[in-house]
Amino acid sequence: MPYEESQGSSDRVVPLSFKRLSWHKRPMTDASAKPRKIIHVDMDAFYASVEQRDDPALRGKPIAVGGGGPRGVVAAASYEARKFGVRSAMPGGQARRLCPDLLFVRARFDAYRAVSQQIRAIFERFTDAIQPLSLDEAYLDVTDNKLGIASATYIAQEIRRLIREETGLTASAGVSCNKLIAKLASDQNKPDGLCIVKPEEAEAFMAAMPVARIHGVGPVTARRMHSLGIHSGADLKAWPMQALQRHFGKSASFYYAAARGMDDRPVREREVRKSISVEDTFETDIGAEEQLVTELTKIADRLWTRVTASRATGRTVTLKIKLGDFRILTRSRTLSGPPVNAEDLLTIGAALLRAELPLPIGARLLGLGMSNLVDPDGEEDEEEEAQLRLAFG
Amino acid sequence: MKATIERATLLKSLGHVQSVVERRNTIPILSNVLIDASGDGTIKLMATDLDLQIVENVQAQVEVPGATTVSAHTLFDIARKLPEGSQVRLEAADGKMLVQAGRARFNLQTLPRDDFPIIAEGPLPTSFELPAAALVQIIDKTRFAISTEETRYYLNGIFLHVAEDPAPVLKAAATDGHRLARVTVARPDGAEGMPDIIIPRKCIAELRKLLDEVDGSVRIDLSPTKVRFDLGNAVLTSKLIDGTFPDYSRVIPTGNDKLLKIDPRSFEEGVDRVATIATEKTRAVKVAVEKDKITLSVTSPENGTAAEEVPGDYAATPIEIGFNARYLLDILGQIEGDSVEVHLADAAAPTLIREDEKAPALYVLMPMRV
Repeated sequence: MPYEESQGSSDRVVPLSFKRLSWHKRPMTDASAKPRKIIHVDMDAFYASVEQRDDPALRGKPIAVGGGGPRGVVAAASYEARKFGVRSAMPGGQARRLCPDLLFVRARFDAYRAVSQQIRAIFERFTDAIQPLSLDEAYLDVTDNKLGIASATYIAQEIRRLIREETGLTASAGVSCNKLIAKLASDQNKPDGLCIVKPEEAEAFMAAMPVARIHGVGPVTARRMHSLGIHSGADLKAWPMQALQRHFGKSASFYYAAARGMDDRPVREREVRKSISVEDTFETDIGAEEQLVTELTKIADRLWTRVTASRATGRTVTLKIKLGDFRILTRSRTLSGPPVNAEDLLTIGAALLRAELPLPIGARLLGLGMSNLVDPDGEEDEEEEAQLRLAFG
Repeated sequence: MKATIERATLLKSLGHVQSVVERRNTIPILSNVLIDASGDGTIKLMATDLDLQIVENVQAQVEVPGATTVSAHTLFDIARKLPEGSQVRLEAADGKMLVQAGRARFNLQTLPRDDFPIIAEGPLPTSFELPAAALVQIIDKTRFAISTEETRYYLNGIFLHVAEDPAPVLKAAATDGHRLARVTVARPDGAEGMPDIIIPRKCIAELRKLLDEVDGSVRIDLSPTKVRFDLGNAVLTSKLIDGTFPDYSRVIPTGNDKLLKIDPRSFEEGVDRVATIATEKTRAVKVAVEKDKITLSVTSPENGTAAEEVPGDYAATPIEIGFNARYLLDILGQIEGDSVEVHLADAAAPTLIREDEKAPALYVLMPMRV
């Protein structure tokens, strides 16, 4: 399906698609923009590797971090465990069936956070344009770096060497001209690998890429694409924008660009936090109001601790209930002002909960979140400050 | 059930009833109105949101008594669109209700009347009557101050309590933490020993609408958890807010020594005029009070500035104080006389506003920092 033809006609028929199209074409057609140099660094089997580093008895053995309890899920699996098919986010029971010798280790987030900070300090020697995705992976924009090094490949090698020296752990890195490809590249030669995709290689790299591996194509989208005969980046590229829009709506422009190896999303140093939430999975499903409220009280307390720690506060409270059959209910309420303490939070959460009672079947998980975050230093707050309050004491 | 009712009668009653029904319901029957035609020639219409329940009796020709429930909003919309002056025939059978007027016919889905939830009132030991006009006054002069903050749910209504002041009185108060409104009336017979109650905002809103059509008295029966207003044709029953209203008397200032006396209309109009340039972000109006005049001003970074002088009686030290224009207008709008007293202390202290010492209503307003 030749793309130029359909582009011309689709622009006339659907003006909206032109706007989306041109937005994603900008970085490529803009000759003045020099290609960026983006590195994606990803620690290898991070939690598991930290455990193996700190406990020699675990080295060379299949281990799983987390997942030991009756309802636990594996947070990370060592490469030895992965050979058996054990993956992160897999229920502990399933992992045990796949690998009977699997050793379950309790997660030590403090230790992982400490290593994460060490790694960040290494990144900061090269650039401040760091976007952490989690404790163990981050994007770096080294186009203009602190040391004036022209070669992003060299920087990636140095970072991997420093991480190995200073933390005793290995990391894989991908180097390319945007986040999309850098992330896919870091996965290419894992573990302890490095993969460089030059801008001129980007399209070819994407053509061979299974669509399911593209960050932003989830399992559901992947299934939909497969049913349409889209398996590789090349298959995806054959689809005109308009047709993609028909099937994938708003996300179409991202897929369209991704198929061409294009991605102009910047490396955001500080991702603006949109919501804060806490949830808890129970050992057995619960349905009794009293018990649910007791659990919700604990969750509200924990959420409030996190809300106060982050200094942000939100006006929308969302309750999440996962039923025994994995159906998920979410209910939210937006307030005129943010809750002022954990009790307030609980009042709203409990009201949302009671409206759903009696539950059709017991709940296996309850969660409470706060979104619509208000910047505590924002204007809105100052305004509230300006209005004085009656002192009821 | 078979009955015929005048369209106007049905429409008016449904107008009251349907506003109790929430727009979105998880329990289907809560979207419905219960229609109960009895042999004595009346139809009872009833709606509830489980916290508030309304029952209204209307005249009709009932051929076959019976009861059913249908979507309140749908029936209301139908009644609205039926020709004026028409007779509406209601006929319920086999899970459907036929609505017929002129040449229009609707066959509506029904739900069984036995599933319709009714608020269990329980005993309502306190009973008294209040003239409708007094109840209107209590509501109008306080409801604007009711908080909409759901987290402080105990402020989401009007607080009603009795006191010896030293004469026996009934007091109604509402506050949102920024302003407070209180009305005091003589304690009606039967109200002695009544529990302190907080009547929810929604009940107040529905009650106020119904009061427009009542001339005489309203009978009020209550317990610590429920209240019932009997308005003759309509009876409103509401759960009360289960919470403790704060001890509001401590925020009513008693020592404010700077007294401004001013014509409430000129004051109100002046505030309204200068507030024209106020935006959502800058709602503050600055009031500079000096000898025998006040200067109202608003500064808006986007729009510019506005100022107006209003004459008044003032002899104390000059003072500058800021208020939320909306709050000030809410209060001044309730002052009926030709003079209002503004008792000031300083720019950060609660300000007391009232017509005079004898006025039943009293308002406390917290300033804004300007």
